[in-house]
Amino acid sequence: MKHIVSLTALSLLMSAGSALAHHSFSAEYDENKPIQLTGKVTEMKWSNPHGWIYLDVEDENGQVTNWALETSAANGLIRRGWRKEDLPPGTVLKVEGWQARNGSPTGNIRSVTFEDGRRLFAGTSNQNVREDEK
Amino acid sequence: MGNESLNNDRSRSPVAYGRAVAGLVLSLWCALGYAQNIPRTPDGKPDLQGIWKAEASAIAALQTNAAAGDMNAVASVVQGSIPYQEWAVTQRQTNFANRLAEDPLNKCYLPGVPRIMALDYPYQIFQTEAHVAMTFQWTQVFRLIPLTEEPSLYEGVEAWMGRARGRWEGDTLVVELKDFNDRSWLDASGNFHSAALTVTERYSMIDEDTIRYEATINDPEVYSEPWTLSYELERQKDLVRLMEYQCQAEKEELSGDFERDERTWYPAPIPEENVAFDATAGRELPLPQPTGTIRRLPDGTPDISGYYMADAGGANYGLESADNRFLTPNSRGVIVDPEHGGLPYQDWARAERLDREKPHRGYDDPTAHCFVAGVPRSHYVPSPFFIIQAKDFVVVLHERMSWRQISLTRTEHLPDDIRLWQGDSIGRWEGDTLVVESSNFNGKAWLNESGDVVSHMQKVRETFTPVDENTVIYRATISDPIPYTRPWTIEMPFNRSEDELLEVACLEDNNDLQHLKDVRDEWRAAQQAN
Repeated sequence: MKHIVSLTALSLLMSAGSALAHHSFSAEYDENKPIQLTGKVTEMKWSNPHGWIYLDVEDENGQVTNWALETSAANGLIRRGWRKEDLPPGTVLKVEGWQARNGSPTGNIRSVTFEDGRRLFAGTSNQNVREDEK
Repeated sequence: MGNESLNNDRSRSPVAYGRAVAGLVLSLWCALGYAQNIPRTPDGKPDLQGIWKAEASAIAALQTNAAAGDMNAVASVVQGSIPYQEWAVTQRQTNFANRLAEDPLNKCYLPGVPRIMALDYPYQIFQTEAHVAMTFQWTQVFRLIPLTEEPSLYEGVEAWMGRARGRWEGDTLVVELKDFNDRSWLDASGNFHSAALTVTERYSMIDEDTIRYEATINDPEVYSEPWTLSYELERQKDLVRLMEYQCQAEKEELSGDFERDERTWYPAPIPEENVAFDATAGRELPLPQPTGTIRRLPDGTPDISGYYMADAGGANYGLESADNRFLTPNSRGVIVDPEHGGLPYQDWARAERLDREKPHRGYDDPTAHCFVAGVPRSHYVPSPFFIIQAKDFVVVLHERMSWRQISLTRTEHLPDDIRLWQGDSIGRWEGDTLVVESSNFNGKAWLNESGDVVSHMQKVRETFTPVDENTVIYRATISDPIPYTRPWTIEMPFNRSEDELLEVACLEDNNDLQHLKDVRDEWRAAQQAN
């Protein structure tokens, strides 16, 4: 993390571990459609109860698809010290997660890594996954 | 006295001179904002508490408008006119022309400040030495204004409602706001601002039923100079309590996007096949005992104010104990009565609960639509909340943008036909425990994402017991004869920390809802095809 995390934020990170879900993820995403994507960030929406990372992903034919990838709540990320400027457009990310049941280029992401291997905040509503992320 | 008295020697007598000076001092006193005959808090500050609404002329538009279809002609509440920069005049005209489609309020987005103060809905002000809180009937928005010069932990983080700091200047409450986003409008006629907006509000009580409200708007990106609007807030003396207007829920119920459930919504009857509800079943749980020192107010009442997060053990995914499933965390199990930890469902309601776990039912969870979570779910959604202890009320501000107000003075609940998402809560202190009884629920809420069932007939009895400086043990007993055979109780600790609420603007970018609707519609189409 680039930011100095306050003791308060750190203690929240350690103690709360809350997945700020507001709807059933299992209803929206398909366990049988795991995804692994690498692409360039076009935008991040710091929204609540879920944020969204938009990622341009190029396939083997050069076709570019803009994926909408759901993160945990912006407020949780902010409390953990992340700020808007930490994820500028153009950042290359590798993400893993599951695709939406309706087949659209939408995913719920369980892990996000920068090119150099550092892990981004990621967050699904699955607290067990979240525990692994810490 | 007539003109003659001006030449009268008595006017220069010491007594008259004294009167004149006293009059002058009084005028100055009033001019400085020190009003006479206004209610005051024990610490001598003007007591702004109560239910208020902006005077009629402030509602709708800030500047004089000719009547225009959807808008009344209104008098200006702006001193002079809004000093738009040249480009911004054009933008404002475009906004005005497109206002029905573009006004963020028509999408039920958060109104921003000062617009929230001039909506045609009442709001309530609460005061403590450390905070001023405002709860709004409109969509249960709230404002929490710390009375401090200390910077926020979250300086620079943008919000629809801005970031507030307040202070008293004599008898005037002054609130400084910054860190706005650029998405809200200032009124329904397209007056707008950028993210560079700062607002200084001034609240001055003129008499016990009137507050002079003034807001100075500064935004160097949009205006050539700061400008000021002002109007009066009128006390709403005939209101027993603030009600609820849930903007998006009302829209979706009207359009059919949020469907009525005849089994749980008011006034659903008790199903004929139900076994009789045993209201006396259940065990008496001894109240939690303190493990350390508890904080107290000057009058000795426990002080439970502050920022809390429930240690809810995944209650938002199930009240009964459950292992984690795909993208659904495990649930610790928070039911302490019955002892076996299972919910005493009626058969039909257990079947309904299992059905709600299916993907095509995910759309039916009201919180997926950003609606209010109800009681007790609002406490474990999971998002933090802030408790204010003001005169006659305990108020809970939920970060997920809703509030509960618990009256400590009312003795009777609302008439039976008034139904609310958060119910009607009346509380009292019994020793060091806050006991709250709630009824008048609308029956629209789910108890969690997995769909634990509750109806409009639910009565909730909650206890908030502080056991040390930073821990409140929370219990909620639900009695609901529609889905259950007997009352049952959950328990969890609320942990206090020195943090601040942020803003949740749930409707903004709620991409999920369409997906959930697609899943449901696809399932329905398949059912029809069969």
